[in-house]
Amino acid sequence: MDLWIWLEYGAWGLSALLGLHMVFDWLRTDSTYSEEVLTSSREGEIEALAEQHKAGGAHHG
Amino acid sequence: MADVDITSQTMDGMGPHGTKVGLLRVLGPAHVWALGVGIVLVGEYMGWNFAVGKGGAYAALIACWFAGILYSCVAMIDSEVTSTVASAGGQYTQAKHIIGPLMAFNVGLYLVFAYTMLEAANAITAGYLFSVVASMTGHAAELDQRPFIILVIMFLAWLNYRGVLATLTFNLVITAVAFCAIIVLFLSTSGVLGGGIMEHAALFEGHELPYGWIGVLAAMHFGLWYYLGIEGTTQAAEEVRSPARALPFGTLAGIMTLLIAATLTWYVCSGILPWEYLGDGVDGAVAPLFDAARLSGSTALVWLLGFGTLFATLASANGCINDASRAWFAMGRDKYLPGWFGAVHPRYRTPYRAIVFLVPIALIFALGAPLDQVITFSILSGLLGYTFMPLNIIMFRRKWPLETIKRGYEHPFHPIPAITLLTLCGVTFFAVFLGYGTQLVAMIGFYIVVSLWFHFWRYRFVNRGAQFTMPWPKPRGY
Amino acid sequence: MARYQPPKQGKTSQLIDVVVLVVMTIGALFVPLWLNMAGAAKSVTNPATEATWEALGQNAAQAAKYEALGYTPETAHDLILARFDYGFSGMALLTMVAVILLYYFLILRFSEVEYREVISEKFGE
Repeated sequence: MDLWIWLEYGAWGLSALLGLHMVFDWLRTDSTYSEEVLTSSREGEIEALAEQHKAGGAHHG
Repeated sequence: MADVDITSQTMDGMGPHGTKVGLLRVLGPAHVWALGVGIVLVGEYMGWNFAVGKGGAYAALIACWFAGILYSCVAMIDSEVTSTVASAGGQYTQAKHIIGPLMAFNVGLYLVFAYTMLEAANAITAGYLFSVVASMTGHAAELDQRPFIILVIMFLAWLNYRGVLATLTFNLVITAVAFCAIIVLFLSTSGVLGGGIMEHAALFEGHELPYGWIGVLAAMHFGLWYYLGIEGTTQAAEEVRSPARALPFGTLAGIMTLLIAATLTWYVCSGILPWEYLGDGVDGAVAPLFDAARLSGSTALVWLLGFGTLFATLASANGCINDASRAWFAMGRDKYLPGWFGAVHPRYRTPYRAIVFLVPIALIFALGAPLDQVITFSILSGLLGYTFMPLNIIMFRRKWPLETIKRGYEHPFHPIPAITLLTLCGVTFFAVFLGYGTQLVAMIGFYIVVSLWFHFWRYRFVNRGAQFTMPWPKPRGY
Repeated sequence: MARYQPPKQGKTSQLIDVVVLVVMTIGALFVPLWLNMAGAAKSVTNPATEATWEALGQNAAQAAKYEALGYTPETAHDLILARFDYGFSGMALLTMVAVILLYYFLILRFSEVEYREVISEKFGE
């Protein structure tokens, strides 16, 4: 067996590991946090806050 | 933030300002440059040379410059609109605010497909590179490319999953290396440093325009490949610290970098490689800059350009995962797609479900379809997107004239760039028609079917007024 | 004007929507492939009479490059002489133009209808 055969196995293994890590973390995240929190991002919201912050300064809280 | 109720049960103090979970604003202009150029630079390392095959070396240069004009218009128009519509989703969000929901849905799909296909093309190329290196280092049997293709996609998806700052900093480094490799190759082969090996006159003799002028038109198809993806800078809008400045700056610096890189690439490759070989990206020059380095006779250049090619494919695939997932996420957030996709990871602050979902899609294309088909699908989606942009800017200026909204950047000579862009898109549609007419019709057929599906079914789940999120006045004429 | 309240979409329905979209996407790419209608293949219509660089239309500089790349006149024959066929029918061109125009007309039309609704709800009437 030469080096490249080992590299092929290594690539399969590493891909599986990275994939499993993502899936594992995804499932864990989904079960730890409520759906409301996870999908609470709103378009333009950060924008509005930044503008307000710039305009008012004192409103920051 | 008077409207934030700190006792709310739905807000757990995890997000920005201790409120909700959104994307993280951490990027600077250099990251925007890296995202834009990183996606595109691979086009210099592979793929653009199909344009040489379509019409000869001069045709590829003419296409390079006309496509350069096309993309300069794209960059200017995009910079103006995005400096006011700074949100993940980029052109999708622009279309939603300026033209309307169905256009936005289509634009969102163009983005996702253009990037996912490009990602697949990059992974295929990276797999090929590994097999070349394997045979160069004495591996006797044919290398199985699949594990390497999968590893590229998995690793980059994983990087994207874990956070945007590390992802794009990684991109910045490898893009800079790949760009410098082109400059070094140019300096050391053109005669600027040491003896030059350019033979343009002798190599072009008798093959100036092998197909005549129709070849120049046909070359426009792959001429786009020199720059395809630069418009992706806008996807970072929600993660850039100061979008109104950083996005126009990063985008315009990006297009200038690419004009230089594209012209240098053409100059070096056409001066070293005969056009028939250069123009055949399947049986001939799969990686033309790498081939040029091999003919230079310098081992150091071979290694440099070998790494340059690999880095360029990785940077591109990486940027594509970033952009496709942002667009998919933004559509999920608005319920244009199932709302499940509109989730942000509370710790890494990335659109993690969109990232994970697009992995198998990219794998299907990378493992199941031939390279030129994948590239064509990507170019077509891009082209439909560029055709949308002039419509977008004309409506934007009409509904909100300059005095009604302050722009971070105003592009000059309106409407000349818009008209130029529309004309060049028409030419490119014709060029695609010459080689891939069936795919073009199949693809537009697909978009017509999905549009009907969206209008008559999917749109019922979308909030009407609430999806218009920009703090703009009412548009003129409504 | 009454605000439009979108229905809440259940998990199963969301899943079906995703599957529909994925199937349509993969179909758009693979159906032309399966029907063998895809792509522009090059072909050699005018083969060379003898295996020399001159017969392939290559001058000394060009021949030297091919030799440096590891080709002989025999192995380079197809690579050098294969050409695309850019012939097309006016009918096919008209079909393409019609399809593109129809497509843009359709989305702009529907978008406008949806957009008016968005604006009137957002800014009140």
